[in-house]
Amino acid sequence: MTQLPTPGANPAEPPPAEPIPPSRPARPRWRETLGLLARNPTAAVSAVVLVLIVLVALFDETLAPDGPNDQDQSIALQPPSWSHPFGTDEFGRDILSRVVLGAGTSLRVGFLSVAFALVVGTLIGLLAGFYGKWVDDVLMRLMDMLFAFPAVLLAIAVVAIRGTGPANAILAIGIVYVPIFARVTRASVLGVREEVYVRASRSIGASDFRLLTRHVLPNAAPPIIVQTSISLAFAVLAEAALSFLGLGPRRPNPSWGLMLADGRGFIEQAWWYSVFPGLAIVLTVLCFNLLGDGLRDVLDPRQRTLTAGSGR
Amino acid sequence: MEQYFRWAGNAVTGDLGVSFRSGETVTSLIAERLPATLTLAVAALVVALLIALPLGMLSALHPRSLVDRFATVVSQLGISVPDFWLSIMLILIFAGTLGWLPSGGYVPLTEDPWGWFQRLILPAVATGVVSGSVITRFVRSSMLEALGSDHVRTAEAKGLPTRQVLSWHVLRNALLPLVTVTGVQLAYLLSGVVVVEIVFSWPGLGQLALQAVRDRDFPVLQGAVLLFALVFLVINLLVDLLYSRIDPRISRR
Amino acid sequence: MTAPVLAVEDLRVQLRTPRGTAHVVNGLDYTVGPGETVAVVGESGSGKSVSVLALMGLLPARTATVTGRALLQGEDLLAMSPDRLRQVRGPGIGMVFQDPMTSLNPVLTVGRQLVEGIRAHQQVTRQAARARAVELLAEVGLPDPQRAVDRYPHELSGGMRQRVVIAIALSNSPALLVADEATTALDVTVQAQIIDLVERLQSEHGTGVVWITHDLGVVAGIADRVLVMYGGRCVEDGTVDDVLERPAHPYTRGLLGALPDLAEPLSDGRRPDLATIPGVPPPPTDLPAGCVFWPRCPVRGDARCETEQPPLAFVESLSRATGSSLPHRAATWCGEGAR
Repeated sequence: MTQLPTPGANPAEPPPAEPIPPSRPARPRWRETLGLLARNPTAAVSAVVLVLIVLVALFDETLAPDGPNDQDQSIALQPPSWSHPFGTDEFGRDILSRVVLGAGTSLRVGFLSVAFALVVGTLIGLLAGFYGKWVDDVLMRLMDMLFAFPAVLLAIAVVAIRGTGPANAILAIGIVYVPIFARVTRASVLGVREEVYVRASRSIGASDFRLLTRHVLPNAAPPIIVQTSISLAFAVLAEAALSFLGLGPRRPNPSWGLMLADGRGFIEQAWWYSVFPGLAIVLTVLCFNLLGDGLRDVLDPRQRTLTAGSGR
Repeated sequence: MEQYFRWAGNAVTGDLGVSFRSGETVTSLIAERLPATLTLAVAALVVALLIALPLGMLSALHPRSLVDRFATVVSQLGISVPDFWLSIMLILIFAGTLGWLPSGGYVPLTEDPWGWFQRLILPAVATGVVSGSVITRFVRSSMLEALGSDHVRTAEAKGLPTRQVLSWHVLRNALLPLVTVTGVQLAYLLSGVVVVEIVFSWPGLGQLALQAVRDRDFPVLQGAVLLFALVFLVINLLVDLLYSRIDPRISRR
Repeated sequence: MTAPVLAVEDLRVQLRTPRGTAHVVNGLDYTVGPGETVAVVGESGSGKSVSVLALMGLLPARTATVTGRALLQGEDLLAMSPDRLRQVRGPGIGMVFQDPMTSLNPVLTVGRQLVEGIRAHQQVTRQAARARAVELLAEVGLPDPQRAVDRYPHELSGGMRQRVVIAIALSNSPALLVADEATTALDVTVQAQIIDLVERLQSEHGTGVVWITHDLGVVAGIADRVLVMYGGRCVEDGTVDDVLERPAHPYTRGLLGALPDLAEPLSDGRRPDLATIPGVPPPPTDLPAGCVFWPRCPVRGDARCETEQPPLAFVESLSRATGSSLPHRAATWCGEGAR
C-alpha cells in the first residue's frame, strides 16, 4: 500500500508562482492587427478595393481614357459601348473618364473633412476626458448642441453662411463629425484615465503632455480608428449629397454628386448617366463601411469575444 | 449680434421674421410645408420598421443562416447607398421602365387619397431603406445579446414554452432600447428627407430650405434650421420620457 | 439502496469553436441520490458548468454535441423530445445560476418571474400562483414577501436576488437542484446563509443537489460526495471525507495545497503566498494524450503518465475502514498500490 501524503503537505516543493505580467498599456499591435484583418476576407477585400480607388484618384489624369471635358456633340448621350463603357453625357463627354476624375474630388473632400473632424474632435475629447470637471462640462455641452442639429441641415447651413465651394464643403462636413469624434475619444479616455499605469506615470511626475501622448492616446486609439473608417464612408456620402444639391464643387469639375444631379434631367433617355456615378459612390462607401466593421472586430476586444465566443 | 438676439427673442414668441424673397412670414411658410415633410418622415419610418423588425429578428434567431446573410448584405448595402441615388434608381425602375408609379409630385390626402398614397410610396421607400438598414443591424445585435443573456437561460431552465421565452424574455428586453433608436431615426429622417424631397419634387421643408440657401434668404433658412433642431430636441425628450415609463430600471417611484 | 435521482453515464460534450472541436466533457459518470449533495469541483474551464448545462439541454444546439446517458428518475434527459425536456425543466430539475445580478429578467417583477414558472407546469389560477410565489419568497427568507413580489430585481440586493433565483428553481418542487457556482458572486456571510438555506430546503423536500463550485470551503460545508473535474474528466471522486482528507490524485492534492491557510499569518503579519499549481488547464481543443494533468503534474511517477490515460480506479478509503461501502476512486497512475 502506497503511503498517501496528508492533505496540505505538498508532495513536491511548493511550485513557483506564475510571474504576474506587469500592468502595461495594451497598445494596438500593428502587425497583429494587420494579420487579423487579412484573415477577415470582407475587410481585406474592402481594403484592397479602397487602395485601388485611391490609386485611381491619384493617377486620374493618366487613367482616364478621355479628358474630363472633352466634348463631342455627335456622340451625345450614347449608351455604354466598347469605346465608352459607361456611355456618354449630353455633351458627348465620356462618363467613365468623368467617374474616374470624380474620384479625386470625392476622396479629397472626404479625407480632408474627416481629418478636420478627427483632429478637432479628438483634441476636444482628449481635453474633456482627461481634465474632466468644468472643462468636460463646457466642451461636451457644446458638442451636444452641435450634435442636436441634423447633419445634412448643419452642412447646408454652413454652406449657406460661407458660400458654396469645395473648401466650405469640407468645413461643413467636418463640423458635423466633430462631436462624434469628441464623444468616442472622451469615452475611451475615461476608460484608461484611471488605469494603474496612467496613475503610476502621473505619480512619478510625468507631464500631462507626455501622459496624453504616450499613454492615453495610444489606448484610446482603437475606437477612433474604427470611427475614422466609418466616418469616411459617411463623408463621401455627404459630399455627394452636397454636390447633388449644388452646394459643393462647381461645374464643370467632375464630381459624382454633380453628375447625378445632371443625369437626373436625362433619366428617361440615358439610364447610364445616373447609374454609374451612383455605383461609384456605393462602392466607395460600402468599402469604407466594411473596412470599419472589420477593424471593429479586430480592434474592439468586446466585439471580438462576441463573434468568437458564440460557442459558450 | 444685437440683431441675432432680437431675432431669437422674437422666435420664442413664434415670430421668425419675414422672407427676403417672397415677403411672407417665415412662420407661415414653414407651417405650409411642415405637414408634407412630417408625412414623408413618418411614412419612411414605417417602411424602415417594416423592413427592420422581421429581418433583424429572423437573422438573430437563425445566425449565419441564409436569412442572416441576406440581412447582413442588405443592411450593409442600405447604409452605403445615397438616398438620393436610390430615389433616382426607384424612379428609373418603377416610374420609368415599369410605369407603375408617378415619378414625383404631391397631392393632398384630402383631395385624392389614392394619388397621395401612390406618390408617397417611392420617396418613403428611398428614405426608409437607409434607416431600415441601421435599425435592422440594431435589432439583430440587440436580439442576439438578449438571446445570450443569463436571464433568458433562467427562463429556459424554468421550463417555459419557447414562445413565451421569446416574447417575454428575448423580444421585450431586446426591443426596449429600440424606442430610443427609433426616435433618433425619426429625427434623422426629418432632416434626411431634405435631399429626397428635391428628387421627388415633394413640397416639404427640404425644398424650402434649399431654395432659401440658393436665394440667400436667411430668415427662412434660420427658421428651418431652428425648427429642425427643435424637432430633434422634442423627439429626444419624448423618447426619454417614454423610455422611463417602459423600463422599470429607470423609472423612480 | 434507494434509486438515484440522477444517474449520469459516460457524458461527453463537444463544442465546435472557431479554433476547432473542443472536448469539454470527456466521459463523466456519477449518481445523485435523494437528499444527497454531490459537489463538482474544478478550476474554471474544467467543463463542470458545461456538464450540467448539457443535462438541461441548455447548450446551443448548433455548436454542441452531447452523448452518453443522463437518467433523471430513470428517464434519459439526453434522449428526450424538446417538449418533454421542457416539462422536466422545473419539476424535474431546478437550476440556480452563478450571477444573481444577471440571471433575473430586469424588466419583469420578481412575482411575475415566479408566477410564469409555476403556471408553466401547474394548472393554477394567476391568483393561486401569486399566493404560492409569496409563500416561496417567505420560504427562502425574503423579508416582507407580500411586497417583494412586486419588486423589480434591481431593487433587491445580490443575496436577495439569489434567494429569488432559488425560489424560482424550487417553485415546482424539483427532484434535483443544480447550483452552478451559486454562491461565488456573493460575499462570505451571504454565502453561508444561502448554503444553510439550500441545506434546510433539501432536508425538508428530499431534493438531490448537484453543487458546482471551485471553492473547497463550500464543498467541505455542504457536500456528501465530491467529484473533482479536470480537463473535462473526473480525476477523483469519493465521499467528502475521503477526497478532502485522503486526496489520491496529484491534482486534488494541489487544489488542497492551493487553499490559503488564513489561520496562520507569517511572523511579519503577511499572509503566506497562495500556493498555486503552476501552469494552466489544457485547452479543450488540444488535450494531452495520457493523463490530462500530466503537463502540470509535480509527481509524474510513472512511465505511462504521458502516453496512457489512467482509468478511474479504487483507492484507499476512510469509509471502507469504517465499514461503509461508498467508493473512493482516482484516475492516476500514482496511487497504483492502493487497491
